[in-house]
Formats: sequence, structure tokens, C-alpha cells
Amino acid sequence: MTFARAFRVLLSLAAALVVVWAFVDAGARLWQRVVMGADGRSVTLTVLHWGSPEESDIVEDLVRAFEAENPDIAVQRLHATDYDAKLKTMLAAGTPPDLFYLRYDDTPEFASKRVVMPVDDAVEQAWLDLFFPQLIDAFRSADPQGNVRLFGIPKDFTPMLMYVNLDLFEAAGVDVPYDGWTWDEYRDAVGRIAEHGASDDPAERVYGGLLKTWPLVLRNIIWQFGGDYFGGTDGRDYAELRLTDPGTVAALDMVRAVRFDDGSVYNATGISESEDDLFRRGRIATAGPLGRWVVPRYRKIEEFRWDVVPLPHVEGVEPSSALATVAWAVSAQTPHPAEAKRLMKFLCGEPGQLMTAELGLAMPSMKHVAESDAFLSPGQQPENAELFVRLAAEQGRLAPQPNNYQEFDRILSREVQKTLQLDSKTPRDAMATAEQDWADERASPLKSQSYPLMPWGKVGVAAAVVIAALLAVLYWFARREPLSPLARAQQRAGWLFVSPWVIGFVLLVAGPMVISLLLALTKWSAMVPLGQAEFVGLDNFVHLFKYDKQFGQSLWVTVYYTILAVPIVQVAALAVALLMNQSVKGIGLFRTAYFVPSVVTGVALVTLWITIFNNDTGMLNALLRYPLELFGLEPPDWFGTNSRWFAVPALVLMTLWGVGGGMVIYLAGLKGIPSSLYEAARIDGASHWRQFLAVTVPMLSPLIFFNVVMGIIGSFQVFTQAYVIRGSNGAQNEDLLFYVLNLYDHAFRFHNMGYASAMAWVLFLILLGLTLIVFRGSKNMVHYEGLKA
Amino acid sequence: MTQTATDILPAGADETGAAAVIVAGSNEVPKPRSARSGSGPRAPQPVAPSSIKRQRLVGRVAVYATLVGGAVMLLVPFFWLVSNSLKTDQEVSKISQLLPETAQWGNYPEALRRLGMEAEGWAVYFPALSNTVVITVLCVLGQVLSSSLVGYGFARYRFQGRDTTFMIMLATMMLPAQVTMIPVFLLFRGLGWVDTLLPLIVPAFFGTPFFIFMFRQFFSQVPEELLEAARIDGAGHLATWWRIMLPLSGPVIAIVAIYTFMFTWNDFMTPLIYLNSPENRTLALELNSFNGQYGVENRELLMAASCITMLPCVLLFFAAQRYFVDNGASTGLKG
Repeated sequence: MTFARAFRVLLSLAAALVVVWAFVDAGARLWQRVVMGADGRSVTLTVLHWGSPEESDIVEDLVRAFEAENPDIAVQRLHATDYDAKLKTMLAAGTPPDLFYLRYDDTPEFASKRVVMPVDDAVEQAWLDLFFPQLIDAFRSADPQGNVRLFGIPKDFTPMLMYVNLDLFEAAGVDVPYDGWTWDEYRDAVGRIAEHGASDDPAERVYGGLLKTWPLVLRNIIWQFGGDYFGGTDGRDYAELRLTDPGTVAALDMVRAVRFDDGSVYNATGISESEDDLFRRGRIATAGPLGRWVVPRYRKIEEFRWDVVPLPHVEGVEPSSALATVAWAVSAQTPHPAEAKRLMKFLCGEPGQLMTAELGLAMPSMKHVAESDAFLSPGQQPENAELFVRLAAEQGRLAPQPNNYQEFDRILSREVQKTLQLDSKTPRDAMATAEQDWADERASPLKSQSYPLMPWGKVGVAAAVVIAALLAVLYWFARREPLSPLARAQQRAGWLFVSPWVIGFVLLVAGPMVISLLLALTKWSAMVPLGQAEFVGLDNFVHLFKYDKQFGQSLWVTVYYTILAVPIVQVAALAVALLMNQSVKGIGLFRTAYFVPSVVTGVALVTLWITIFNNDTGMLNALLRYPLELFGLEPPDWFGTNSRWFAVPALVLMTLWGVGGGMVIYLAGLKGIPSSLYEAARIDGASHWRQFLAVTVPMLSPLIFFNVVMGIIGSFQVFTQAYVIRGSNGAQNEDLLFYVLNLYDHAFRFHNMGYASAMAWVLFLILLGLTLIVFRGSKNMVHYEGLKA
Repeated sequence: MTQTATDILPAGADETGAAAVIVAGSNEVPKPRSARSGSGPRAPQPVAPSSIKRQRLVGRVAVYATLVGGAVMLLVPFFWLVSNSLKTDQEVSKISQLLPETAQWGNYPEALRRLGMEAEGWAVYFPALSNTVVITVLCVLGQVLSSSLVGYGFARYRFQGRDTTFMIMLATMMLPAQVTMIPVFLLFRGLGWVDTLLPLIVPAFFGTPFFIFMFRQFFSQVPEELLEAARIDGAGHLATWWRIMLPLSGPVIAIVAIYTFMFTWNDFMTPLIYLNSPENRTLALELNSFNGQYGVENRELLMAASCITMLPCVLLFFAAQRYFVDNGASTGLKG
């Protein structure tokens, strides 16, 4: 008792201290920003970038050096792990960073939507001539008037190639293909290395290779077979798909064959040891197509020697190497264009190029730096560093991308995952489906039609009329009954007391619902002013139900989760509550033990369970392996090969861990049932089971009903779990595409605010329907007699 | 204090399920029709006393076995979390090794550093923590004040449209925030509040239907004489609420505070949408970036960071356990 008290006192003291510190700390920061300005400098620039901790350090060093040179400018550096979503959210918020990373494939869209600013006027031709010309060209695009301008300065780039573990090649007696190789030679080599490194212990087994298959690098593999995603010259005709061309299918067939038929190439699925980890531990002989960015990490490898080789190709096909390049671009909305352009030039200038070169993270975009020893770094791995320069010059190729390439990537990745990761479809079938889906997507009126602007003026007038009418009706009702002065005072005080909620309701619920309905009738990316929203009528809904396969998928995932989670969690909670209602010694301790897990929620809960679910190093599958082996079964690959049926149950398991939350509610309900009822039942000779059915369940039925309704609504709100798991999974996993995650993607990643609003309304209608069904269905099952005391 | 109020009529009978269900735990229950689900009376079976004893013993053993088994299953993840957070980089990959050879306490300062903490002597710079604390404290304050204010209005005042308003409020309980996410985002963007803590704090000052409902149920049962006395003493409307009602409602305040704390501390989606600058980020955001950046390579640090993030909630639980488990839910839900 005294101990508990001391604990509480100490804790309160510590909490009070932390709270005081937090307010002082946050207050000081606010004070500094609002009152003092950023340490007296007149201009503050914000830069947004992504990248590893090492890359962050480079950017940090560079911006501090810039600040030292420009005492009137302060630079705030933002780093994002989920870069696209962060950048687009900031754009949607109307507070874009002044300077940010721009991928070459985003340039046409960003330029045409006036997101980025032309920078031709800020740079001299002589300076531009220092760069690789094809990289500069990658950031030239048409502005809204149709003039081709330069929209960013490439900070660095990389060609794609393969990393090889020289020791494994040597051990298997395979020659290292420094001068290029064919896919047949590749298949033979990885097969021999895998055979040589075969082991019964899955933790020791060596793989011949790993092949990356995200859309850009997969396209590189396909090029090596003479295929492409799109037709036309250089793959620029996005209406003509070439996914089922012989070259394209041959490439996918090869990847599928080495992964599944030969088993010589590692197939990373779900949450498992990362492919990079396996290479770094010397268990994978070739890794690619990969760019330069892995070099700093690989340089820490001490256990074996490694180097770089070109990608394999098919005899008779001109080999090529996909270039990936990123520029620093200036936001079109920046209030300080001159300063932002100065910073852009500084970040892309020689000091930055040299730092990038020395770190080894990417290839400098300036020719002379790329060809200097700073980049080639003799004496350091990879010895064959000169290959980067050669590939960039001789085989380098920029992949042209349609404006809405993210939607194409989404469709493609889904099918690629099915055939190359899960082996549930042949490449030809998968690609045929992808072609069909892309054609459907383009055929949808939403994507092919042009619409008039939304008549906001008329909408505003109509809204004003409706609001006035509503107020008039309310006023009329209020005036109807004459009230005594006392009653009127009551009236006024009552409304004042509930006014916080009423104001909140109007501002945050009712008003937004109406606006959301209006937005649902438009096509609007928050990147342009609301006035430019197009009026599409009901076409958002048409697209949703007729053309959008992801929508159906997200609905299915959510419903699957609801069907599993709601009954399982409620039954478990009730069962545990019954257990906790036993009068045995030490029950208090058990209640504590059962309840503690439910206080862990959010990101912390998910990060914990991600490590538990890990296929290779996780606890759960290690525990399941032995008992399942008795039945000749294997533990599931929760978020990988078995994700179609097991990803959602895995989340249910996670939810079930927090069973204590529901348990206490039922426990309170159980304690409220008068014991006289049970006595009466016992006198009637009812068994335990009978008592449970005839007394406990009816008495708890209102609680059960409430929990089921709230459970359904909660199931439709699952977001954090799916978002965090997707982040650590790397790949996109459509089996975890919950409704709200899909909604978030459309709103803040793909920037379809109108479309996302339509989805929000559909969500609302679905929940309304479900709640009504549950209300109706429960009419005869819920006993309210205990309530009308 | 509530117990004295049992003979007071609840203000306005709620006929709705949603409203009524939560009071299911109430003690004042008349006899239900226990024989409703069929089965006529049966004569009690005579059983030999020794057999009853044995049955009891078996039952007791079964109960304990289930209790212990379940508790172990639920607590193992905590063990895994703590043990992994103290392992070395290599040890994390070995599942068979239950405990670290030597506990790597250094993982914790390292995890803190990567969550953005810098310390120089007594000056601690840890924006993620201070932001999370500020947001959480203000949200708790806002929820308790506004929800009790509104709950009091609904419970003790008669005004036109009250019951309709109350019904609408209960109905909004079923409306997930995501439905209004986009327009609310546009609203805060219009106010220039994006990348400030305000969008995370201000909505708490408008009250939450469920909490309002709990306060209303509680306030409905406070004896009228008490309010009468206050009024005779000359207390105004607000003074009555502040001096009489709030002090009475300790248990409900505790529940509202605890649930608001837990929700706000762990909230992820709202900060994800509204916060950008590093100095404005919350712990949940930092933990997510941590997972994305180092999660694969440094699982032991990720586990340490998770531990740090969830610690305040676990401590709060142990400090306020009686509100959570013992009578917490019942006090709160019984009303």
C-alpha cells in the first residue's frame, strides 16, 4: 500500500516536471519563431528531401555552409521518409517547401500544374555545360503556356547495374562478367552458385542472386529483352501498351523461372530479413538492378570482396541502363525566388557534388566531378567504379513516364507482385490483366473527358439561401411558445452550456460534411486553387464503382477484417471478462496482466508486432513452426506469399492482444447483474450454461450491442497498422489496403481531393447502412428492461 | 458520492439503444424475465458432497490454468520487447537466444538520440516529447472542461430542442473522423494552422460525444437539493458547474482524462497530415520514421524506441489502475 502510494507520488512529481519542461520548451520555441523570427535572419527557406541518414548529413552540411555564406538567410531542413505523401500534403496545405527534390518523371506534371518554377534565368549556359547534358534535358518540360523551360538542376544521378559478391563467384568457379553477360549466362551462373552454396539450414543457404522488380528497374530488365511498357518511339506512346509483347513477357518469364523453377534467386516476401541484409551477410551472389545508393552501406562490408558488373541482356538487344536522377527544384509559390534559386545553385554546385562523390551515394551530375578521383575513389570498393561512368555515357537511358505514372505503377505493381512474388499467375496472364486495367482506367469518363469548372458562385448563393431558411425555421420554432422569464433564462443558459459542442458540430462535422459532398462532385487536386475545380457530376462515383479495382479491393480488405475482428474480439473479451469475474485468489493481479497490453496502441504497437511477425527472426513463426510441423504444415508468410488470407488475420491477432479494453467493459456489466437473478435461476435448476444464456447474455445484451456497433465503426477506420506495415514492407501490399488507407492515398498521395471526398461519402453511407441493419436486427435480441429503472 | 444519488430520477428517459446501452452496468435493475428463453423449472439434482468438493477442486485448477496460460500469452510480447531492446545487433537475429548476454543499456540513449533528443548538461532538447506532452495535456484539459460543460447543460437544463440536439450528438458518435478529414484539412489550411500544433489541440475544446454522454449520465443523478442549495447561496450557472458539479465528478473526469491521454498520445493520422517541420513532430511520427529508416537494420533500437514511446501509457496505467480496471469502467459507464 505504502509502496503504491510512494510510486504514485513519485510518478506525479516526475510527470509534473516533464509537463513543466515540455511547456517551457515548446513555449520557448514558439516565442523564438513568432517574436524573434529565425535568429534575426530576414529570409527563411525551407528545403524538403528524402534519403538515408548519411544523405541527411550531407544536406545538413551544405545548408549550414550556405547559411555561413549568406548571413541574411536561414535554412530549415525537412526530411521525409514517406516523401511523396509529405510533399503533396504540404502542397495541398498551400505551404510548399521553397526547395525540394524533384524526380525527373514528376517534372512534366509539376511543370504543367505550376508547382515548380522555371529556373532558366538563374543559371548561365556555361555552368549548365558542366553537367551531363541528358540529365539537364530530363528536367526540361513545357510550362502551362507550352514553352519548354528548365525546372530543376540535377543534384546527382545513377545508372542501374548489378552488385556481385566476388568470393561466392570464386568459390563456385564462375567467372565475373565484367564485360557484360547474357541472361542465359546469368541463369547458369546463379544456378551454379546456388547449388554450390546449398544448405539444409535455411539460415545458411546461399542464393545466386536477387532481382529487384519495382516498376523502374523492372522496366530496365524488360529493355534488356527488347520489350517495354509503352509503344511508340522510345516508349513514349502511353496509349499503346506493350505489356504482352514477346520481349516483355520473356523478361518476366525469366525472373519467374529463376525465382520459382530454379529457386536460385531469392524471393523476398512479406516482413522478413531484407534482401540488402542478405547480400551484406554474404548469402547472395548478385544483386540488381540497383543504383549507386547502396555503396556507402556496402563499403562497411568486411567479410567478403564485392564489385559491380553490367546488367545481363539478350543477344541481339542493345544493352541499356536506366538512369534515375533527382533535381533540386524551386516551388512556384516561394516568396523568395531569388534566394531559393541561389540555394538551389549552391546545393547543386561543386562542393555538394564533391561531398556526394566522396560519400559514394550517387554519381555527381557534373561530368568533371564524376570522372575525377573523388568519385572513382581508387583503393576503395567497388574497384570497377569506372563502370558507372561508362554505363551512364554509353547505355544510359531515361525512362519516359506518363503524367499519371503513379496510377500506372500501382496497377502494374499489383500484377507483378502476383506473378513474380506470389507465383499465383503466369506472367502473360498478369500482364494481360494489367493492360486491361490500364485501358479501363483510361476509358473512364473521369480520365478521358474534360469538364466545365465548378460554379462556386451559384453554389455559394444556394448555400446561403438554405442556411437562411434553416435559421428562419429555427427562429420560428423558438418563438412559437411564449416562455416565462425564468424558463427563458433556463433556455439561454442551457444553450450556452451546450454551445461548445454545437459550434464544434457546425465547424468540424456538419459544415465539412456538406463541403465534402460538394467536393465529391468535382475533380480537384489541391495543388491548384479551388476555383479551378472541375464539375464532374456523379462521375467520381461512376469511376469508383465501375473502373476502380483498388476500391473494390479496399472494401474487401475492410469487410474481411470486420467479419473476423468484430466477433472474435467481442467473444474473447466476454470470455475473458467471465474468467476475470471468478472469485479466486489473486484475481486482481490477473486483471492487471490481461489489461496491460491494451494500453499499447498506435505506432508502438505495430512496430512491436512487426518484429514478432517477421518470417525469419520473429517470435511467432518460431513458436508456431514446431507444432505445425507435426501436422505437416508450415507457419504462414503473414504479409508475403500468404498475405491474401493471412495479412488481415495478423492484424486481428494484434487487435486481440488488446482484449483487455473490451474486457473491462464487460466486467463492469457482469458486476452489475444482481446476484438474485442467478439465485432464482439456480432454484429453477438451471445449469451454468443455461444461466449464462438466460441471465448473463440478456443482461449484457445492450453492452454487446454497443460494442458491436462501435467495433464495426472502428474496423472501418483501421489506418495506422496498415500504413506502418506498408512502410516497413517496402512493397505495396494490396492485401492491407484498408478503406481509410486508400482514402488517404487518394487525398494526400495521388492528390485527388474530389475523388477522395466521394470515397469519404461512400464510407459514411456504408456505415450508416450497417448501423441501421444492426439496429434493426438487434431489436428483438437486446433487452432494455434493466435500463428503464 | 454517486451512491447517494440512486433515488434521483434521470433527466429525460432515453429511448434510444445507443444512449441506453452504456448504462447497462447499473445496479438498479428490476427482476428480468429469467425464464424467458424457455426451459421450465427443473428439480435440483441431489449430489454427493465429496463429488461436489472434487468438482470444485477440478474447476478451480482449470480456472487457474486458463488464467495463467492466458496471462503468459499476453505478457510474452512484453518480454520479447524488453529483451530485444537490450540485445546487440547480432543477437536480435537469433530467436533461440531469449535473453541478451549482457544487457545493452546503451541502446536506450541511442534510440532517444535517433528520436531527436539532444542533451547538454541540464538543457534537454527533445521536441517530439515536448510537443506530444503539450498536445496531450491541452487535449485532456479541453476534453474535461468542454465535455463536462456540455454534459451539464444537457443534464440539468430544459431548453427547446435539447432532446433533438442530444440525439444528433449521439448519432455523430458513429461518424468516423475520416469522413470529414478533407474539408477539415482545408479549413485548417485556410486558417494557416497547418504545421502548427493547433489542429491537434483545438478540436478537443469542442467536446466529444461519448464523454459528453458520460458526464450527462453522471450529472443527471446529482440530487436536485444540492443545486438548490447552491442557487440559494447565490451561485450562478457557471459557478454551480465549477464549484459543485466538477468536484463531484472525479471518477468521470479520471476516465475522460485517461482515454483522452491514451488516444492523443498515440494518435498517428492527425499529426501525419498536419505536421511537417522536425521541431513540430510528435513521438508517434518520429517512431514511424524510425521504423522506416532504421527499423530493418537496427531492430534492437527500434524496440528500445517503441519501449520509450509506450512507457508513459504503461506508467499511467499502473498509477491509475483502479480507474482502468477495478471500478473505472463501471463508474464511468454506470453513470
